[in-house]
Amino acid sequence: MLAGDEEALALLYRRRQGSIYRFALQMSGSKPIAEDVTQEVFLFLMREGRVFDPARGSLSAFLLGVARNHVLRRMRVDQVLTPIADDGDDDAGLVLADTDVCPLEDLTRAETIETVRKAVLSLPAKYREVVVLCELQDVSYAEAAEILGCAIGTVRSRLHRARALLIAKLRPAEQVEEETSASLKSERCFA
Amino acid sequence: MNSRKFDDETLTSSLHLLAEDMASLNAPAEIEQKLREAFRARKVVVPMWRRRAPYWLAAGIAAVLLIAISVVALRSRTDKPNQITAGQIEQPRIKEGIKEQPIAPEPKVDVPQPKQQQIAQRPRRPAERRAQNNEVANHVNREIATDFMPLGYLNPATLQDGGQIIRVELPRSTLMNFGLPVNMDRYHEKVKADVFIGVDGLAHAIRFVK
Repeated sequence: MLAGDEEALALLYRRRQGSIYRFALQMSGSKPIAEDVTQEVFLFLMREGRVFDPARGSLSAFLLGVARNHVLRRMRVDQVLTPIADDGDDDAGLVLADTDVCPLEDLTRAETIETVRKAVLSLPAKYREVVVLCELQDVSYAEAAEILGCAIGTVRSRLHRARALLIAKLRPAEQVEEETSASLKSERCFA
Repeated sequence: MNSRKFDDETLTSSLHLLAEDMASLNAPAEIEQKLREAFRARKVVVPMWRRRAPYWLAAGIAAVLLIAISVVALRSRTDKPNQITAGQIEQPRIKEGIKEQPIAPEPKVDVPQPKQQQIAQRPRRPAERRAQNNEVANHVNREIATDFMPLGYLNPATLQDGGQIIRVELPRSTLMNFGLPVNMDRYHEKVKADVFIGVDGLAHAIRFVK
């Protein structure tokens, strides 16, 4: 690609754009930001691709590191943290993808996803990024440490803390759900 | 503990659900198109640092040339008074040679020659050189001198090459050779003159000093 091969760029883009776009989307909760960041990452690669040193880490880690910097910068500039659900045209989380399962179960699944998505987006950035990388992107602790520029121990501790925060955020919802389902059951029993 | 474990498991499964749900998300296709266009444009257009390089290079060369020309011009300006000084410094040597002959003293002319010799022996700094040049100028200003008159054909290039001005004493009759008025009462007296000796060692011009 650095030698001027356009197809190499296209190939690289097709391989890596998904993880970068999803990372940016999960971090920002905004499709426009995710699109901009994805584009910026590859433009950066075109301009400054020579700074990538394979001895220092993998290309995916390098690209995710660049994406992280762009996302954080963009969020600082925009001062917005709009959840995906706020976008009028974004119903990805509520799409009933699996037609084999019961529609009610699918609805519950979509609601759970939406709740977790909002909970993740409400985390502070330093906790959100470890959750996104380690839990949603399946990046190893070592690679996450490389991307975030910190020690593996820091990644572990942040992830532990982030999970605790998520549980604290999601627990009331679960309890409310349980209470709601219990009341529904009792109503059904009375009915 | 059970509640905690349940929450952990729920969270893990919920996060997996979210990851699965988003796994199929990709960036819009137009981004690839935009990147391709940017890539092509970048290939055609020379990178910014390369585009700017000739301007910087040209500016740098221009600056260096300007500095070089200024230095040369400044040096040529400062060298000329030095040559005059050098000529005047050599005056005593020539004068001593001439003084062997009986010469009538000229009380009106006050030349601070010993002082100039001292300055000439010291290593010169620019400030000292300026001061010395000023002294020379003052010294020259205190004297009344004619314009330099060419001795035969004088090529302007000879002046540019440099040379020395040497103070000599000549018979007053020499003034007549140049069409200058001569006081016949002092016809046998000497008159001071500055002779411009070129780099070729020949006398090219002369001026008479009082």
